[in-house]
Amino acid sequence: MATPSKSGFKWHIVVFLAPAVIVYTAVMIYPLFATLRLSFYSEVEQERIWVGLQNFATLFGDAIWSEQFWNALGNNAWFFLIHMLVQNPIGIALAAILSSPKLRFSAFYRSAIFIPTILSFVIVGFAWKLILSPIWGIAPDMLDAIGLKFLYQPWLGKEEYALTTLSLVSVWQFVGIPMMLIYAALLSIPDEILEAGECDGITGLSAFFKIKLPLILPSIGIISVLTFVANFNAFDLIYAAQGALAGPDFSTDILGTFMYRTFFGFQLQLGDPHMGSTIASAMFGIILIGVCIYLFGIQRRLRNYQF
Amino acid sequence: MTALKLENVNKSFGSVHVLKDINLTVEDGEFVVFVGPSGCGKSTLLRVIAGLEDATSGTVAIGGDVVNAVPPAKRGIAMVFQSYALYPHLSVKDNMGLGLKQEGKSNAVVDERVSKASAMLDLDNYLTRRPAELSGGQRQRVAIGRAIVRDPKLFLFDEPLSNLDAALRMNTRVEIAALHRTLSASMIYVTHDQIEAMTLADKIVVLRDGRVEQVGSPMELYNNPANQFVAGFLGSPSMNFLSQSVTGLENGTTLGIRPEHLRFDANGQISGQVTHVERLGGDTNLLVKTDADEVLTVRLFGQDPTEVGDDVRLSYENANAFFFDQNGQRALPRAA
Ligand SMILES: Nc1ncnc2c1ncn2[C@@H]1O[C@H](COP(=O)(O)OP(=O)(O)OP(=O)(O)O)[C@@H](O)[C@H]1O
Ligand SMILES: [Mg+2]
Repeated sequence: MATPSKSGFKWHIVVFLAPAVIVYTAVMIYPLFATLRLSFYSEVEQERIWVGLQNFATLFGDAIWSEQFWNALGNNAWFFLIHMLVQNPIGIALAAILSSPKLRFSAFYRSAIFIPTILSFVIVGFAWKLILSPIWGIAPDMLDAIGLKFLYQPWLGKEEYALTTLSLVSVWQFVGIPMMLIYAALLSIPDEILEAGECDGITGLSAFFKIKLPLILPSIGIISVLTFVANFNAFDLIYAAQGALAGPDFSTDILGTFMYRTFFGFQLQLGDPHMGSTIASAMFGIILIGVCIYLFGIQRRLRNYQF
Repeated sequence: MTALKLENVNKSFGSVHVLKDINLTVEDGEFVVFVGPSGCGKSTLLRVIAGLEDATSGTVAIGGDVVNAVPPAKRGIAMVFQSYALYPHLSVKDNMGLGLKQEGKSNAVVDERVSKASAMLDLDNYLTRRPAELSGGQRQRVAIGRAIVRDPKLFLFDEPLSNLDAALRMNTRVEIAALHRTLSASMIYVTHDQIEAMTLADKIVVLRDGRVEQVGSPMELYNNPANQFVAGFLGSPSMNFLSQSVTGLENGTTLGIRPEHLRFDANGQISGQVTHVERLGGDTNLLVKTDADEVLTVRLFGQDPTEVGDDVRLSYENANAFFFDQNGQRALPRAA
């Protein structure tokens, strides 16, 4: 028989998949499992021993550890909430304004709003630290110039403001991403549907809320879950602006900075890879749960519309 | 009262002059069809009437009121789009009712009008479905239903049937004609299908390059075209134009003769050879290459034994011949 048998193993599939699988395993899957594994061990007298769930018990049970953990988680939740309540609505509003055919220079605004996204965290953190600094910052002078000096506070230095301020800096940096995604979604709505709406008297704001918004809900869902993942993995901006101690007095400490301090150590604190991995595993669990809630609870109810 | 009156309407997109001095009246209850080649400005004219585009100059009056500055929803028009343009996120019922709700009509009124329209269009079983769950023909009916519930003075259709297959197109065409009779509303219908134009229209408006070429009832245009363009555009197969094959034409004059008016005649003055035969059962179409190298279409009723390669002679009644001058305008028959 010259014809290849149909049930034969398709080696070419393996060959074509191999590069991607190997690279992905090496940089994603192996480190993930290695981290999870590390969180079940501890080091006693320079020897690595299996401790089961002991590290998790410490993290959630020990007063000192758990207080730090819940503080970081709470701060992280606030960080996320600000992004959801400020970044995404502003991004959607900007996209709606940009997609209006009557707006001139829209390409310029689009680029201007998007550029901070490609800046390094270090630059952004440093620049905003300078801007807001009570000593050399331009914020106090600018407020003074419009007679609002009394509003000025050393925002990054006060426990009650620092986290919100940094969240807003992050919003400033990343608002371009929801804007771009929503902008693309809005452009994909056919003109004829909007014109049909115009003939029905649905224009302006009611066109946005009755026609465009329902049609971009799937994109808003995706943006929410991307924001969630990015926020619970965040680290860089806080580290760049406030250092690993996430001051003042840990008021800007989020899971990322907490894990970094624990894993690598900072100043007087010694690094503990096992507890660090435990925190990393907890973060992984939190993000996994969040994404599952989205995938199974929310996304199924959103319809994707084909035009 | 006139349903629509256009006076010297012009429309330019930047430097592109798309509509040129359009004057047109649509009487109450009239079914008017715009036809013309692709890109001649049919959709643009419809959109100017709807208010989706502003006329660059000229006046648009609907039901006696000048509406140049009135938004589409207040013009008393309803438009049916080629792509249906249904709201994908709403059920059939809400698609039809959204405009009325926006106007602030009470739920009772909305329900009553929607159920009346859906009964008329046979949509009762689909009211809770979304557009994605409907066939093309059903979607088209929903789009028409959405227009009906608004109870407009003027319906505007932009090639509503062009996305449907041939059988469905015929059915929907009949339905639209029936709808026009039941509602006795004024309708404007854009198409480039001349069968739709001939069968539906009370009045056909032939457009070319943004100008009205001729306005009249289907038979007026067919029997008495004002120029060579209209003569060639209406009728299928289209009219034959000859300038060499017949003797005695003044220089530059063209003779037009419809394919069904040519007949075999051993003494006919046109002679040529059959190059192609189309047998349709009811009709037979022949392509004939004349001795002067012009190609003619001959339409014979019934079935005919003529084969490719046969030599034929053709003649026609003088009464059926049209003459056009160099500019394509109708010319008087040459004095004998
Ligand atoms: N928004 C626009 N900007 C510039 N030119 C336009 C615009 N809309 C239409 N045109 C031009 O106007 C002319 C008429 O367009 P229109 O859509 O009215 O043609 P149509 O008769 O409906 O053709 P079809 O049968 O293909 O639908 C075309 O040459 C087109 O390129
Ligand atoms: Mg068109």
